[in-house]
Amino acid sequence: MSAVAAEEMHAEQVVRASGLAVGWNGRAVLRDIDLAVESGERVALLGSNGSGKTTLLRVLAGLAAPLEGELRWRGTALPKGGARCRVVGYVLQAEAPVPFTVRQLVALGLGTDGPPSAPQLAKVARVLADEGLTELAQRPCSTLSGGEWQRAVIARALVAAPALLLLDEPTSHLDPARRAALHERLLRLRDQAVVLATHDLELAALCDRVMIVGDGRAMAAGRPADVLTAEVLESALGVRVRRLDDPEGGPSLFRVVGLAARFAARGGT
Amino acid sequence: MIRWTLALMLLCLAAASLGISAGPAGWTTPWHAVERLVEGDVIIASLRAPRVGLAALVGASLALAGAVMQTLLRNDLAEPYVLGLSGGASVGAVLSLLLLPAVPPGFLAAIGAGATALLVRGLAGAPYDRTRLLLAGVTLSSLLTSLTGLLLILAPEDRLLRSASFWLFGGMGTPRFSLLVLPAALLVLSFAWLVPRAERLDRLTMGDDVATSLGVDVPATQRYILLWAVALTASAVAVGGLVGFVGLIAPHAARRLVGAPHRAMLPATVLLGAALVMAADTVARTAFAPRELPVGLVTAGLGGPFFLTLLRRANT
Repeated sequence: MSAVAAEEMHAEQVVRASGLAVGWNGRAVLRDIDLAVESGERVALLGSNGSGKTTLLRVLAGLAAPLEGELRWRGTALPKGGARCRVVGYVLQAEAPVPFTVRQLVALGLGTDGPPSAPQLAKVARVLADEGLTELAQRPCSTLSGGEWQRAVIARALVAAPALLLLDEPTSHLDPARRAALHERLLRLRDQAVVLATHDLELAALCDRVMIVGDGRAMAAGRPADVLTAEVLESALGVRVRRLDDPEGGPSLFRVVGLAARFAARGGT
Repeated sequence: MIRWTLALMLLCLAAASLGISAGPAGWTTPWHAVERLVEGDVIIASLRAPRVGLAALVGASLALAGAVMQTLLRNDLAEPYVLGLSGGASVGAVLSLLLLPAVPPGFLAAIGAGATALLVRGLAGAPYDRTRLLLAGVTLSSLLTSLTGLLLILAPEDRLLRSASFWLFGGMGTPRFSLLVLPAALLVLSFAWLVPRAERLDRLTMGDDVATSLGVDVPATQRYILLWAVALTASAVAVGGLVGFVGLIAPHAARRLVGAPHRAMLPATVLLGAALVMAADTVARTAFAPRELPVGLVTAGLGGPFFLTLLRRANT
């Protein structure tokens, strides 16, 4: 393949990480991570608590530098200033309460200085409508439920139409109905590449690819059908799982039936 | 709309303050006071107007410094002196009164405040670790307050205790217009830097990670905010002494009136701060005339009930 062709291929990739090591204070939590995500693709990161999922997401969001390896967003470095919002949108697992209304919060996702212009306000209105937040636009964020807040911060991340959306545990505080609604919403996101860290196996099954991280490395990666098997989940996550596939092609269900032998022996710790 | 109402209120208050005299003349109506100011009346133009201007400047500067300090530290209890600036300013002022009695204490007080800010920033170590910054500020403030007390107790003259006490609670004195130029320029410059960047300050309130992901250069913005807050506080202290409370409550009152986004909140904070200190200073110079109260005593006396009323209104 010519250098130009290779460069074009990389340019189509929204994010590409090669030989990445990520961690804290110079100590690697994960090593040798290779990940390339294209537009419209959804990738789930699975792993036990403390396995390094959030650390990896923070590096992919440009919030921390990798300890080793190469990282490119659309074939180049992450731009500075508000232009960054058009490349990466990041939704954290938890945020401190903010004193803004939902509309003000979402408008801050534009990444620009100054009051929003008319076209920008139209963008805000559109994303509020997409997330079902139009009725709540004037509500103070402090009065939102967990599910409403989750939609508001996703709207804030999406308002600048980023090429890459990173979600950290997006379903962790949601009731079953809100969780199902978020699953549906993620299925409808086709303009972005999405990378999400989750413990939600059903959500991971809806993604195009799954990467399981643990023991300081990527333990398994591939299509959900290949990775989310009882054997892989038992060895990588330490749980015995029964997978219930829908004969009509709907999403798979997962039922945790116990701990893997190596965990059960020491009481799940 | 609320901001224009506040601006109008400030102008009316300024005109009223110009007309209120501590002397036997009593008070004149605000429009007569403005008329006399335009005609160049010595009392109004040379004595009262600079004093009213000084009160407005001190209030506006401290209020703006308090607002951005609350944003920087993401702490509702932050105020201009929180990083030990009051302690540094007190030591500077008392040393000035002790060693250079002929010189107004403001200059050394501003140097004391600025030096303390630098020291706290150095002691805090890691870049803008808010907890370390606050702890270093509180610790240094305690140390410097003790040092101020020691200097006052060991001072050879009682006169020092009296003049220092007056300054420590905010002593405005009778300034010349030329004294107001530097603090006014600093207020205008800081306002002109901060307001166009209001949305960055909004993003900072959501935490460093969110702000960075939304395109804010967090360390640079924090550095500038700290610089402006310290400069505004030092200049206010230099010309007005330690006026407390206004830097804490003016931003909170502004948020309740116009909301939390900085684009509306910062101008409202500046107007409220100016109005509060102007009103307090008018009371301070007239309530017990011919004796004058330190204005800091009155800011708490006037601001406290005003803020409690706002809180009560918000709860109902």
